[in-house]
Amino acid sequence: MKCDQVKEHIADYLVGALSPTEAEELDEHFAQCTACKQETAALSETWEMLGLLEQERPSAQMGPRFYQSLEAYRQGIQAATPAPAKRRFFDWGWQGWAWSAALLIGGLGGGQWLGQRERGQRDLAGLQDEVHHMRQLVTLSLLEQQSASERLRGVDYSSRVDQSDTPVLTALLHAVNHDPNVNVRLAAVDALRKFAGNPAVKGTLDQSLVRQDSPLVQLALIDFIVDERDKAALPSLAALERSPTADRNVKEKALWGLSQLQ
Amino acid sequence: MPEARADNVLMQKIRDGDLAKMAVLFERHHRALFRYFLRLTGNREFSEDLVQDVYFRMLKYRHTYRDGNPFTSWMYQVARNAHLDGVQKRKGEMPLFEEGSAQEQASAEPDPSEIVRRRQDLGLLRRALAALPVEKREVLVLSRFQNLKYEQIADILACDVGTVKVRVYRAIKALSQVFFELAGEKAS
Repeated sequence: MKCDQVKEHIADYLVGALSPTEAEELDEHFAQCTACKQETAALSETWEMLGLLEQERPSAQMGPRFYQSLEAYRQGIQAATPAPAKRRFFDWGWQGWAWSAALLIGGLGGGQWLGQRERGQRDLAGLQDEVHHMRQLVTLSLLEQQSASERLRGVDYSSRVDQSDTPVLTALLHAVNHDPNVNVRLAAVDALRKFAGNPAVKGTLDQSLVRQDSPLVQLALIDFIVDERDKAALPSLAALERSPTADRNVKEKALWGLSQLQ
Repeated sequence: MPEARADNVLMQKIRDGDLAKMAVLFERHHRALFRYFLRLTGNREFSEDLVQDVYFRMLKYRHTYRDGNPFTSWMYQVARNAHLDGVQKRKGEMPLFEEGSAQEQASAEPDPSEIVRRRQDLGLLRRALAALPVEKREVLVLSRFQNLKYEQIADILACDVGTVKVRVYRAIKALSQVFFELAGEKAS
């Protein structure tokens, strides 16, 4: 093996991908050529040192950011999918009218039979009720988990329960006020928007604002307060605007909130 | 099913409309992608933005994924384009490479002076890596940090395997030279 050929094999040498024959030939060359041996040793040392550089990890915000984007993208795709074209009532033509008449006759005849189906419908309502309770249970259970990512899933899952669900609303308010993780608190503020107009939400936003220590959550709450036209929060906004310890951006936002509500 | 094949199948499903499967590919690859960008740019925030951009592009251009095309190679091709476009957009803004945290793995040696020396060396190595031209840095990142085979790198860089090996040799040689120069400056 010549010196030029050694260079061709260095890349394989570094990752241990030389064949036994190539390794043997390289060793034979090193026995005769000190320059190649020294160069290969130096490059190998640098290669090994690279392996000691820290394996950094992304921040905790990265996951929630991705999942929000994915959900938004999916919803965007669904919204962009064209709905089946609607036809006007009087555009049905004679076939449509014939079908309508047949359905009317069939409907009258079937009325009696449907009466017997009432019990079945009660069963269906019971099943829907059960699904609602299951969703509520899943949401509440996730919101109580130790892991912040599980609690974030719980906040996300809360969108599947209806607006009148008081236990879920209470759990979300608790998350906004007391969850140790900023991402969960932020997500809970967003989730509360589904309950907008509910007196239980409107009356508590100003208290939540006072309790927060995260500027990000404070900013999100001020937006929500302004959107809700929650004038009960005016004193809290004024106090925040005057606070010497509040974040500069939060103070500016509080001032903006005051101007919007007054 | 081996993970690489499973990734290919997942990407086929995403291409065919099952977008939720992208969450699995995110959990499997976002850390590796983050480190790829961090080694290239030296900026955490920018690297996280680029990772998000890669997943967005993979969703947007999912129809370009072909059956039998290894997912990892395709993902890094998308990542390279995201990096090039991202750097282009940032031209004129603040420089990318930040001062590192110097939290590299310390030597197992109990001697504190040895640990300090090792940390200094790793700091110099990080500076040397940052000083390399991006094409040299990239081939080192792909081969040393992302644990990709030369065949995969050839696929990503759209060249033959022999060219990749030559580039790896030139890149590690350049890195070694810069490192020893920096070490020499420090000693003198």
